[in-house]
Order: sequence, then structure tokens, then C-alpha cells
Amino acid sequence: MIFNFNKIRAYLDAISFSGKTNFLIFIITGGMISITILSQVSIFSLKHDFDVLFEKRTKPLIELEKLKDTYKVNIYDTYYDVSKGNISYENSREVILLAKQLINKSWTNYKRKTENKDNQPSYITTFITNLFPQTNMFKERQILGENIIRNIDKKILIISSIMDNINYYFQRDEYYAASKNIEKLNFQIKSINIYLTSLSNYDLKLAVNEKRKTEKVFNIIIIISVISIFFVFLFSIILSMLIINNFIKLHSSLEQKVDDKTKELQKLNDSLEKKINVEVANSRKKDMIMFQQAKLASMGEMLQNIAHQWRQPLGSLTMIIQSFQTKMMHGKLTDEFVDKKVNDSLLLADSMSNTLDDFRNFFNPDKVKNEFSLQSCVEHSLELSKYLLEREKITFSLIIKDNIQISGFFNELSHVFLNIINNSKDVLTSKEKTLEKRIYIVIKKVNNLAQVIMIDNGGGIPHEVLPKIFEPYYTTKYKSAGTGIGLYMSKQIVEKHMLGTITCKNIKHKLESEHLYDCAKFIISIPIKQEGYNDK
Amino acid sequence: MTNKNLNILQSFNILYLEDDKNLRLHTKDVLEDFVNNIYAVGTSNEAFNVILNNKVDVIISDILLENENGIDFLKFLKEDKNIQIPAILTTAHTDTKYLLDAIKLKVENYIIKPINIKELLNTLHDILLPVIQQKQIQKNNHIIKTISTVTDSKQVEVVNFIFNNLNNENLLITSYSEIMEKISISKPTLIKLFKELSEKKILTKVQHKTYRFDENSLNVL
Repeated sequence: MIFNFNKIRAYLDAISFSGKTNFLIFIITGGMISITILSQVSIFSLKHDFDVLFEKRTKPLIELEKLKDTYKVNIYDTYYDVSKGNISYENSREVILLAKQLINKSWTNYKRKTENKDNQPSYITTFITNLFPQTNMFKERQILGENIIRNIDKKILIISSIMDNINYYFQRDEYYAASKNIEKLNFQIKSINIYLTSLSNYDLKLAVNEKRKTEKVFNIIIIISVISIFFVFLFSIILSMLIINNFIKLHSSLEQKVDDKTKELQKLNDSLEKKINVEVANSRKKDMIMFQQAKLASMGEMLQNIAHQWRQPLGSLTMIIQSFQTKMMHGKLTDEFVDKKVNDSLLLADSMSNTLDDFRNFFNPDKVKNEFSLQSCVEHSLELSKYLLEREKITFSLIIKDNIQISGFFNELSHVFLNIINNSKDVLTSKEKTLEKRIYIVIKKVNNLAQVIMIDNGGGIPHEVLPKIFEPYYTTKYKSAGTGIGLYMSKQIVEKHMLGTITCKNIKHKLESEHLYDCAKFIISIPIKQEGYNDK
Repeated sequence: MTNKNLNILQSFNILYLEDDKNLRLHTKDVLEDFVNNIYAVGTSNEAFNVILNNKVDVIISDILLENENGIDFLKFLKEDKNIQIPAILTTAHTDTKYLLDAIKLKVENYIIKPINIKELLNTLHDILLPVIQQKQIQKNNHIIKTISTVTDSKQVEVVNFIFNNLNNENLLITSYSEIMEKISISKPTLIKLFKELSEKKILTKVQHKTYRFDENSLNVL
């Protein structure tokens, strides 16, 4: 049972949600319809049964009563009156005849009605009666009824023969014999009345029986309908419960699903965040690498500078060293000479060392911000790029309108200037030789800002390039070793480390000459009072 | 220091053109011990003045001068002024561009900085040696000619003939008659001369009509 129940449950669980709902609706509708039909059918069959009861059992009783009355009133009384001489035989004949006809009619009516097939109980009643079989009482009673009817038939024959006798005697006017026969008739009528009464009792009993039967059927129908209502109700409840369960399950599973999805999304989000962090770190790393590359690239250029700056003192030193040998050879190696030469060589070595320091400092980031003169910074940058500028025959002029002290990272700022000078140099180098190549640098104070304006007559920057020059990895130097990081780095240094701005535009300028040149102009503005300095 | 006789440099004047003050000074200090006179200057203008006013035997010039170029200066001298003075270029550049220009100018040498003084002196020696030798030859000629005017000119003519006819192996293949055909000299005088030379092992007879000249015998004298 439990197994089956579980099986059913499993089966019900297996049905889809809409299937279950449809099933529930089907069950409820089906149940309602069947209950309605059943109740309707029951009501009609019960009514039919009552009708039958009335037709079959009550109407025959009336016939029987009529029969009784006819015998007693019409026949006996008429005969009695005739014997008393109250009415004439002639008069009575008609009455008697009529009575005879009435009796015949009533009796046949009775018989017909009791045997009428139309008045069979309804199918449902029959079905239920067959379903719950009665005792054999009905059969016995039927036999009893048939006996009575047979007796009554006999009596009717007897009475009619007596009546024939009476009639015979009356025709012969033998009143005595007639009255004797009347007495007989009276007796017979009484006995037939008894039969009739017992028949009607029998019928009544049958009626009572049938009524009981009907009641039983009614009860059964009630019980069946109650049971069926109960079942429908139960089914509905169970199904509803199942569906509700299903709902709950569905809800919880949906909730679970939503939770799962949310978790998945959370995870995805987390992993995305991680990825983004990693990517950001990567791009930072890339930036660092690019910065490094940019540094290396400028280091390469610087190296030429350094090499040149070293060559001259190196040549002198070589000469001094050799001079000791030659002087010795000629016996002219005096103390004076040695002192002089040693001093000179120490000075030379010092300048070489300074050059190296310049170089090293330039590539070593400053650890602390210093107060320094903007002029010295620009001069330093020019000094570092001097050799390359000279080689490319670029003349430069530095105009100091205000000597400004600023605080910040000397080398970084120097890097910015060097970068712009190098860019100018690259542009100027690509120009034809007839151009008088110039770089023009002005340092001045504007309100609270220290401004360095750097102008070169390299023709300016193409308009389509101008908005992009500060973007990272943007380079126009396809063939040369442009990393595209120089100006980006410069902007970063000026904006983030110096809290300043760097802008660029194309202008026309005379640059202290008579020609009007197309020029690129870089303006670097640095706040003089650097409060809230972003100490990276 | 060197197996070359650098003393020969002592008689020469050198022009040194170098824009780096330090190097100029130190190089001058070294070179002045070796040469008669060193004119150390920083610009081509000064250098040109020195050339106009002094006797300059060799020019040593840096290629990259301040705002000018040593090669251009030499070109100006050689092509525009037609002043042919041997020149040595010094440079920190190994650039072939300069090298080619230098070769076209027929510069005597090309020295890479930092200057190796030995290399510089050797180069100077190599450049000036022919000048010295030229002078020596000239001097010897003068001596011979002077001697010949005071001694027997015939004998000098014969000696001249002998040296003019020496083949690569220092052999003289000739006969008295051949000599006498060229030079109007008496046979006894000729024989006496040959005998004298033979005694002093200067010109020994190897075989018939063949005489060997021995350089070493001269050193004994």
C-alpha cells in the first residue's frame, strides 16, 4: 500500500506542473459533474419510485375499495331491498348488471395495474436493489398475494353464481330461496370483502416495503453521493496539497536556482573583479615597462652625450699620462711639472666624475622633493642635450624673465624638459638644412605659476596628431626608436608629481629673427607654492 | 721609447689646431720637447695667421672644431691657397665620411683620439724623415761638388761613373776601355785608382770585368 502510494506520489511528482493543475481541474470538474448528475438522477429516480409506488400500490387500493363498495352497496343492498320489496326486481336488474360491470372493470383494472410493466422501479433502484439483495419475504408475499387474488377470483365466480341463483329465484318469485341465497351472498360478499381487505393490506404492506426499499435506496444514494463527494473532496485536497507542495518545491527550487545563479554571478563578479585587478596590475606593469623603455631610449641618447663629454677630458688625461714619459725621456720631469699636471688631471677626472653623476642622477628617481631653481633645471636639461643639439646644428636660447624657486623632483622635471627638447630636436633634424634650427625657452612667472615655454621652429605639430600627443603609446616616429611614452610620461610627471599642467599648441613666432616661423609651443605650468604635494 | 730617431724632429715647426683648451695645452707640453717650435691654436683663423707668418712643417688638426671643421681648413689651404704642408688629422670619430674626405685631401695620417703620443711622434717622424733625407742628399751633393772642385776632377768623374753603373747587387760590370771611352782619363791613372779602391776593399774584383762594391768598407774610413 505504502509502496503503491509512494509509486503514485512519485508518478504525480513526475507529472509536470501544468499537467497536475490540469489534472486537478479535471478531477474537480469531473467530480462536480458526476455529483450533480448522480444527485439529479437520484432525485428523478426517487421521484419515479414514489410515483410508481403511488400508481402501483395506492390506485389499486382505490379499485379494491370500489370493488368492496360495489359488492356491499350495489349488489347486496340492492338484493336486500328487492327481497324486502322496497324496489322491484326489474329495477334492480339494471343496478345489478351495472354493479357486475363495475366489479369486472375494477378487478381487471386492479389486476392490470398491479401487473403493469410500466410501473417497474427505475433502473438505478433496480440496480441498487440488485446490489443489496432483499430477503425472500417479497417472493413469499407475492405467492400470498397471488393466492388471495386467486381466492378472490373464485369468490367472484361464486358470488356471480349466487347472484345468478338469486336472479333465478327472483324471476321465479321464490323469495324465500332468494332470501336464503341473498344471505349466502351476504356471507360470500363478507368473505370477499375480507379477501379484498387482506389484499389491500397486502398491497399496503408491499407499499410499505417498497417505501422502505426506496428509503434504503435513498440512503444508499445519499451515502454514495456523500462518499463520492468525500472522495472528490479528498482527491481535490490531496491534489491541491500536492500542487501546493509542488508550488513550494518549485518555489524553493526556483529560490535555490536564483540563489545559485546569484552565487554564480557573485563568483563571476568576483572573478571579473580579480581579472580586472590583474589586468590593471598588468597594465601598470606594462606602463612601468614602457617607462623603463622610454628611459632606456633616452638613456641611449644620453649615452652619446656622455661619451662625447668624456672624450675630451679622456684625451687630455691620456696626453698628461704620456707627457710624464716624454718629460722623463728628456729629463725635464720637474716637481713643478708633475704638480701642475697632477692638478690638471685631477680637475679633469673630477669633471668626468661629475658628468657621470649627472648621468646617474638623471636616471635615479629623486627620493625626496627639493627646493631648486627652475632655471638650473632647464639649464641642466640643455647641458645634457647640448652635444646632440650642437651636432644637429640647432641653436637654443634660454630667456629667464624671473628666477623662480620651486620644490619637487629635480631630475623628473629635468626629464620632462629633456623629453621636449629631444622631440624638438627630432623634428628639427628631419627638416631641410637651409632652415635655421632654433629652440627658444622662456622661464617666467604668471600669477602663482612658474611657466616654462619651449618653442621650436620645426613647423608645429599636425592638427590630427595634436590631440593625441600626450596619449600613451602614441608615436609618429615609426622608423626611429619612438616608444610613444615620452610625452605621456612627461604629462604624468608634471600633473601627478608636480601638480602642474602641460599643454601644447601651434603658433607663429619670430624666435629673435626676421622670419616668421611655424612653431610648436609647449607650456609647462607649475604652481610655485606646492601645498598638498602628492608624495608618491 | 722608439727605435726611430726622433731627434730629427728637433728642427721642425709644427702647427697644432685643437679647440679643446686642455688637450691643446697638454699636447703642446709634450710636443714642445720634441720639436723646434709648436704653434698651438684653437681656431682656423689663428692657424692661418701662423702659417702666413711662420715656417710650418707639419699641421696637426682636429676635425671637429668649434663651429668649423679641420678638413675644411686643410682643403682651403691646399686648394684655395695652394699651400702644401703635410697634415695629420686627429678625431674622436671613426666616421668613414671624414675618412674619405681625408683620403681625398691626401692627408698624411689620421689619428683616432685619445692621441697616442708614440703614434703621433712616429707619424711626424715618417712625414719629416724624407724632408731630412732630402736635405742630407742635398748637403752631400754639395760636399761632393765642393770636394771635386779642389781635387782631381777626373777621379771624381770615374767614381761618379762607378756608382752610376752599379747594378742592384752592387756589382760593376765594365772594362777600363769602356770607362776610358766615356771619360778622358789615362789608363795608368785609372788602374791606379782601381788599385787604390781595391786595397781599401771598396771595390774588389770578383771576376773578369766584374767588381763588387762593399758598403761596409766605407764605414772603416
